[in-house]
Amino acid sequence: MALLELDGLTKRYGGVTAVNDVTMRVEAGEVRAVIGPNGAGKTSLFHLITGVVTATSGDVRFDGRVLSGLSSYQRCQAGLSRTFQLTSLFPEMTARENCRVAAQARLPRRWQPWGGASVFGEASKRGDEALERLGLSAVAGRPAGLLSHGDQRLLEVAMALSQKPRVLLLDEPTQGLSVEETLTAVETLAGLFAGGGLTVLLVEHDMEVVFRLASKITVMHRGSVIADDVPSVVKDDAAVQAAYLGGYA
Amino acid sequence: MRIFVCVALLLAMAPLGLPLFAMTLLTEALILGLLAMSLDLMVGYTRLISFGHAAAYGLGAYASGYLLLHTSLPLPFAVLAASVLAGVVAIGVAWVCTLAKGVSFSMLTLAFAQLLYAVAFKWTSVTGASDGLAGIPRTAGPFGVTVFQTKNGYYYLVLVCLLGAYLFCRSLVGSPFGAVLRGIRENEAKTLSLGYNTRLYKIAVVAVSFALGGLAGALYSPFAGFANTELVFWLFSGQVLIMVIVGGQGTLIGPILGAAFFMLLEHVLSQYTESWALFFGLIFIGFVMFAPQGIWGLLTRRARA
Repeated sequence: MALLELDGLTKRYGGVTAVNDVTMRVEAGEVRAVIGPNGAGKTSLFHLITGVVTATSGDVRFDGRVLSGLSSYQRCQAGLSRTFQLTSLFPEMTARENCRVAAQARLPRRWQPWGGASVFGEASKRGDEALERLGLSAVAGRPAGLLSHGDQRLLEVAMALSQKPRVLLLDEPTQGLSVEETLTAVETLAGLFAGGGLTVLLVEHDMEVVFRLASKITVMHRGSVIADDVPSVVKDDAAVQAAYLGGYA
Repeated sequence: MRIFVCVALLLAMAPLGLPLFAMTLLTEALILGLLAMSLDLMVGYTRLISFGHAAAYGLGAYASGYLLLHTSLPLPFAVLAASVLAGVVAIGVAWVCTLAKGVSFSMLTLAFAQLLYAVAFKWTSVTGASDGLAGIPRTAGPFGVTVFQTKNGYYYLVLVCLLGAYLFCRSLVGSPFGAVLRGIRENEAKTLSLGYNTRLYKIAVVAVSFALGGLAGALYSPFAGFANTELVFWLFSGQVLIMVIVGGQGTLIGPILGAAFFMLLEHVLSQYTESWALFFGLIFIGFVMFAPQGIWGLLTRRARA
């Protein structure tokens, strides 16, 4: 059984069908990229999985459990940790504190209204580990709002990672980065994924990033899935070429 | 911590050195300080701007006043019961108010406080309408303890409540719960997506804030001997917010200083002019523009420099 299954997932806004009957299986351990031109429905799909918006029809199943009706925080507690397309951090907290708060969310005594040395200790340990894996240890003491944009993008991944998620959902991790920053970020992420053990679903429109990172690719066009295979096959798919180059080629 | 003990000792010795009228002012300042500090939990630590914190104060004041007038409950218990009542009512209020965010949240708190104001005005049998509750006694405590009946004895009760509440708040904001509040303050959407049920945290902090604000009100009515609708009026809510901002939000100590500063200034300025509020308004604008960190921010910056 796949870890994350989407079954006939559909989202309509009035007459517009943003996501149209998407069925998809993400196996444990794979790095799945969802790609497509602007307006293909990638971000809407992401919102449906993370519970930001509710589906018009269809199901999201995670480890066999139907997620419909669960709000975004409950889905995170179930093991789906995400990042945002537009960087979303706690700007006045240090990078280390950002990760600590993220890790704290998965500890049973996260709400404890007194003391908390043991909660903070465990959360900091997990957070520091995640910072290290993303090569951010050197800037851990700096306020997140003062980090470079590239480091901020990676910090968000570190926050998600420190939650020890079962599926890591990345919404355009290289969004808004310069060419050099993108290279650094992609190499860092590639190193992270190479370590194995992570199941990743990432949305991206930068092809080079996708082919470097993904083990499987789902291509969306106008809300529907038009291809779903390993990178080498997707690259040569006629429908994909038409969607990306149609009207221009 | 050393500073805390020093200040606590100094305040504890105040009755030995200060004349009686000064002790009255100091007692009231500490009560207002407790109220401002309780609001700081919402405003300074969670960025929940309440325009209706007088509701907490009024609830506490009327409840303890009513209990002291109509039951034989000993004073400390009446005060405690009033505080708990304010906290419990706050759960319902916060449940409604947290349906909204930002300015809408603030407007809902204001609306709720005004609702309470209207109730205080109309529910004659309980609140005494426009007359308010008068002649609220300071009844003897349990086990024949009568020390709270004297002015200085009452001062010590207030002082113990304030110091206890301060230590409680300090521990709260430094705890894992407090870390989540800080997350909500900086980025609520992110906090939610990290797996925190932010609404529940907000309701909890409003309840705690109201319970402590209610405690302040509950201490005020036996101190003054009366409770009236002015204690629930929106103007007072605004003044408490000013105390928090002038004192230094998000510091707990700052709002206490802000409350004392507000009282002192009102006392001094009103001797010279009836329009003292005008001058206080100018001072407030000055703080917002040139010292947004407030009095406590100025003091600690000087200490660090």
